[in-house]
Amino acid sequence: MLSDTEYRAVEAFLYTEARLADEARYAEWEALWEDDAIYWVPAHPSGDTDPRRQMSHIYDNRSRIATRIKLLQSGYRYSQEPASFMRRLISNIEIEKTDAGEFVVGSNFLLLELSVQARHDLRQWGGRTIHKLRWVDGQLKMFWKQVLLVNAAEPLPNLTFLI
Amino acid sequence: MQQATTNGTQFETPAEINVETLVHDDKIHASLYTDPHIFEQELEKIFYRVWVFVGHDSEVPEPGDYVTRQIGRQPVLMVRDKAGAVSVFLNRCAHRGTLVCPAESGNARAFTCPYHGWTYDLSGQLTGVPFPGAYGPDFNKGDHHLPRVARCDSYRGFVFASLSPEGPSLAEHLGIASRLIDRACDLSPEGELDLSAGWVKHRYMSNWKMIPENDTDGYHLGFVHRSVLKSAGSQYQLFIGEESNNKGLLRDWGNGHTEIEFSTGYKQPFEWFGGAPDKYAAYLAQLEHSCGKAEADRRVFEGPPHALIFPNLFLAEMNIALFYPLDAEESIQWHTPMFLKGVPELNTRLLRQSEAAMGPASFLLPEDITIASRNQAGLHARQPEWLDLSRGRNREYVDEQGRIVAHFTDEVTNRAFWKHYRTLMAQV
Ligand code: FES
Ligand SMILES: [Fe+2]
Repeated sequence: MLSDTEYRAVEAFLYTEARLADEARYAEWEALWEDDAIYWVPAHPSGDTDPRRQMSHIYDNRSRIATRIKLLQSGYRYSQEPASFMRRLISNIEIEKTDAGEFVVGSNFLLLELSVQARHDLRQWGGRTIHKLRWVDGQLKMFWKQVLLVNAAEPLPNLTFLI
Repeated sequence: MQQATTNGTQFETPAEINVETLVHDDKIHASLYTDPHIFEQELEKIFYRVWVFVGHDSEVPEPGDYVTRQIGRQPVLMVRDKAGAVSVFLNRCAHRGTLVCPAESGNARAFTCPYHGWTYDLSGQLTGVPFPGAYGPDFNKGDHHLPRVARCDSYRGFVFASLSPEGPSLAEHLGIASRLIDRACDLSPEGELDLSAGWVKHRYMSNWKMIPENDTDGYHLGFVHRSVLKSAGSQYQLFIGEESNNKGLLRDWGNGHTEIEFSTGYKQPFEWFGGAPDKYAAYLAQLEHSCGKAEADRRVFEGPPHALIFPNLFLAEMNIALFYPLDAEESIQWHTPMFLKGVPELNTRLLRQSEAAMGPASFLLPEDITIASRNQAGLHARQPEWLDLSRGRNREYVDEQGRIVAHFTDEVTNRAFWKHYRTLMAQV
């Protein structure tokens, strides 16, 4: 059974994670990750692709997340230089607690991105995110984030911000 | 030339622009990237005439497998028939023109048009017409097959189509650049590629010609890709810094085909795959078994090609990419990892490498695309009218294979592209 306190803690985590990503607070966002991290954005909206045989937009382990962040912090990641202005809405939250006391969290998002690197295009992104979270020293951390973009299989503009 | 506007009326375009006058040996006119009338001429004189890469036969392994693609604005369908032959059709019902196949890929026993139910078999023959009594005795199903592209041919699994019944054969178009395709295929112990990982699609806010130009431009590497060169280990570090230390070359292979040769700057085998040759011992043994030790050693030292097959196929080292023009200011590039048949354990690594290199969330291409959009925006300034194309003209030379060769940071590849472009655009 999921307690009210647990529900609120998980919800607060989602909001914090979203805000750190929206505001390009790279180091704080990276600190939310556990070492057994998988950050996965499949190239198909269905969510049943096999990342060992099929292309993904992102399939990062912890060290590749670190490289991704280093690029963003380098000052030369022109596709996010300057960083896009972003805000995302999160809803339709569904939380499952596993026997191991971890949380599997589904939520929908709608993200507005003002891409300011060349032309000023307002872009919208949307989809469903699956987070997997666990308690570490009284803090929730994520070890899995899968983002199912509704337009994952379409030609996408740059996706180098934190989705 | 006439062009339809979106409200259905017609307007005259300005007197036909002689595009060939805008391309010189050492400079090109900025309007080539921005003028929509020039774009329309390019569709007619390039994309609807020359050999355009459509797909790879490993994408349609079984009878009935198909993929849908585009040649310029025209939708096409690549299908494997019952006898095993791969054909390319225009994706258009012979009755009233509906797309007969709306899906991007799949397997079909036949194609049934959703509008009035006309049915075509895998070789494009019209096999069924509902309520046929309405047609007279002179109605012949044989006259209403799925329209085939004028010419279709393939080289080592790469399927090309030409919408023109005339012109050079595929072999003539590829010329000696077929060796670049060989170089890719010959990395497989079975000599074959497998493009089965699916395509990732990336949107360019720029003219399509910036893609082939940038694909084999060595000069930009250390600048545009500075973030990755600073933040991650990369074999590309061998090709930045002091000009005289950079042993990479550029080559013009004729007919608009161009290449960056990295291997002249490599220091060890497998440099193109992150070095560490011992990691690939099993693969190397398989390759030796298929072609002998000396040849296998040469192949794993040189690695894959980094080359552009004119107009729309990019052999992007361990990726295969193709691109579409949408209009003068927008284009799309697709890419997929170049899996090698016979070495499945290598292919998972290739997937991860591919995700890091190309695509909207990768570590390399988003920078090229951002700079291309800034390039496109800048070109709307009307001065200066011409873009210089002369880097390295003073030091290029013709090698024993007939290729024009220059230093990694020169513009021999851009000149090669534009030279062929001018020839094509000058045709009536
Ligand atoms: S348009 Fe295809 S059957 Fe009529
Ligand atoms: Fe580049």
